[in-house]
Amino acid sequence: MRPADRPHPPSQLDRRRFLRCGLAPLAIPVLAAAGCRSMQFARVMMPGEDAMIGSHQAGQETFTPLVNDAVAKLLARHVDAAVQQVSYEEGAEPLPPPTRRICFVGVENKSAEDIGDFKEQIYQSIDSRILESSVFQSVNRRFVDAGLRDTRLRPDQLLVPEHMRTFAGHMEQQGQPIDYLLYATITSGTTRENRDYQRDYVLTLELVEVGTGTYDKQSAELSKGYHHSRLSRWRATNPLAQ
Amino acid sequence: MSCLHEKHSIVLFFLGKRSLLVLRFASCEAVIGEAGIGGSSRSLGRILAPATRLLPSRRLHTNRLHVSLSLLVPTLAALLVLTGCATHMIRLQPVRAAFQRGDVAEADRLIAHELEQRSGEEELLLLDRAMVTLADGRPADAERMLRRVRDSFDHLEEESPAEDAWSMLSDDGARAYHGEDYEKVLVRAMLALSNLVQDGDDAEAYSLQVIDKQRRIVAAAAKPDGTNPKAAYQQVALAPYLRGIIREETHRDYDDAARNFQLVVDWQPDFGPGQAHRARAAEGSHSRRGHGVVHVFALVGHGPFKAEVEEMPTSTSLLIADQMLSTQLGTTLPPTVAPIKVPRIVAAPGAAGSVQVAIGDWAAGQTETITDISQMALRQQEALLPYCVARAVARRTVKKGTIYGVKQGFGMREGLPSLALDVAGVAWEASENADTRCWSLLPDRIQTMRLELPVGTHTLLLRPLDRQGQPLGQPVPQTVTVADGRNTYLLMQATDAGFVGRPLTNSP
Repeated sequence: MRPADRPHPPSQLDRRRFLRCGLAPLAIPVLAAAGCRSMQFARVMMPGEDAMIGSHQAGQETFTPLVNDAVAKLLARHVDAAVQQVSYEEGAEPLPPPTRRICFVGVENKSAEDIGDFKEQIYQSIDSRILESSVFQSVNRRFVDAGLRDTRLRPDQLLVPEHMRTFAGHMEQQGQPIDYLLYATITSGTTRENRDYQRDYVLTLELVEVGTGTYDKQSAELSKGYHHSRLSRWRATNPLAQ
Repeated sequence: MSCLHEKHSIVLFFLGKRSLLVLRFASCEAVIGEAGIGGSSRSLGRILAPATRLLPSRRLHTNRLHVSLSLLVPTLAALLVLTGCATHMIRLQPVRAAFQRGDVAEADRLIAHELEQRSGEEELLLLDRAMVTLADGRPADAERMLRRVRDSFDHLEEESPAEDAWSMLSDDGARAYHGEDYEKVLVRAMLALSNLVQDGDDAEAYSLQVIDKQRRIVAAAAKPDGTNPKAAYQQVALAPYLRGIIREETHRDYDDAARNFQLVVDWQPDFGPGQAHRARAAEGSHSRRGHGVVHVFALVGHGPFKAEVEEMPTSTSLLIADQMLSTQLGTTLPPTVAPIKVPRIVAAPGAAGSVQVAIGDWAAGQTETITDISQMALRQQEALLPYCVARAVARRTVKKGTIYGVKQGFGMREGLPSLALDVAGVAWEASENADTRCWSLLPDRIQTMRLELPVGTHTLLLRPLDRQGQPLGQPVPQTVTVADGRNTYLLMQATDAGFVGRPLTNSP
């Protein structure tokens, strides 16, 4: 028998086998010990920096343009109306447009998604833009909330003429007369294509004149595609496939 | 323990509470085997009975060779030091008992002692301490503790390869505890309740976090093939309920309230008032003029806990696999004489059924279950048990593989060193304990009741009832203040012994 074919005595150390079989299992935890639990970090996002896009539901990438678009169009239309209402008489001082007081009742979510903490943010965003525009004078939200609580009227009940008069009268008693009620409503429509789907979000602003009940309406729309994989998203955005 | 049994020398080593490692030496031959200890008695006869049953015809595994006791016993003795650590639940049993009999001070003292002894389990102990602190009438302190645990769990639930690997060489207790899924959700729910009985400023945020956490837990478990073991989880209806009542109080966001009450109806269909809440949010108003609402929250009964159980079918299968592999590989593997241990949720809800609320002679009603914590924990365990057992089997495989690798590396196919390694492997496997860490002072159910009352101060008489509606103790008077169109919150904990600590309320 050649020396190479001779079996090793059991007690003799076979280095390669020892390394392969003996140390390998023990090395696993040692190597793994290098991997520690990751930490969570945060950063301040700079203006103009790409914002995150909600992968499963609407986020700021949806609501911010909707609010910007709808509020800007509505205010633009009423700025024009205000300018037209001011007549010019020779020798007379031009009259400033009358201050129209607007009561922003609230944001109603009728979409398929629970918008969670965005609701308050949408309210505050719309309210701030209206106030900044100087087209309307907005009634402070705390007065609006107190008025609803005191009258026990639901926002949707205010469109009934009797309830509208009650609410407007109560607000006037509190020193907060109102000319308009403003409602914001978020709706959505979903179109499915196998495991992907498209959701169209619409923000509608409804402006109701308290005295006459006439109303104006402005909508903004944004569509968003939700894809189950990167490949699916690439297919949807691939210019070659158009 | 060792003793002589006529012609045979038997060495017995306890492997945990319910099994023995038995070494029977007869005619200079060692027979290694395992036997379970029946019942709770540990009289000598009962202990010896399973040992003497390990005759060649019934033994689970034998390994014959000439052996020297002087070498084997010290090896075993050194390794068996690893075994027999008391599980978390056994250590926490006095705390649980004190709390359930209403002795808040003793429960707090015991937890404080545990906190001093076991800083590694600080987060887990803080969960129990928060419940004690809440019962003691200090919701701000309880909220602070719960917030700390929430943040810590969020960090610890990140994967740690080092801990995962180490747990493969020891047991699941080596991994930092980051809470069962139901505990992660409930810690936020308890935060919301603790905050509501103070100023309530953060309660809405907490209620959003509860819903969000539930959603993320289930979403994260989705597998590429579309299956999701956590899809069967019972959702915590308390979360949308809290959000519903908070949004309803705005008198403006009734749409949010209706949406959330609809979730309550969907998730907890047997919650009686669910439909009424949904209808009121859809069509009605928060309350009549000159009235406010009192929301009573009762944490009722004794919550679930974890006990260590032996997975005997899996252990037996693994033992057979050991023998098959030992034959095929030409060398022995450590036999699976130590059973695979896994934690099992045990529901022991106790007798407390609900809390009756009365004003003077008028019985206003009693609380109803919005979230059944024991059921939720059991359903979660049902969904995850296969994964838990699989992890235990994988751990055994790693251990056996390591022993096999060492034997191969050193060329130990038979002889005393090989046997010593097998014995060491058995002891290594026997050192495993099931991970019974859990939030032990949770209630069995969270119940609620809505009460519309005129503006002013009212004295409510609160009385814990058993499951048959019989009183469990004397009624406790509690004064609440009701403001026009506002919510008032009342929180209490009730066990078989009556109320634990005192009810808490806020000033609207």
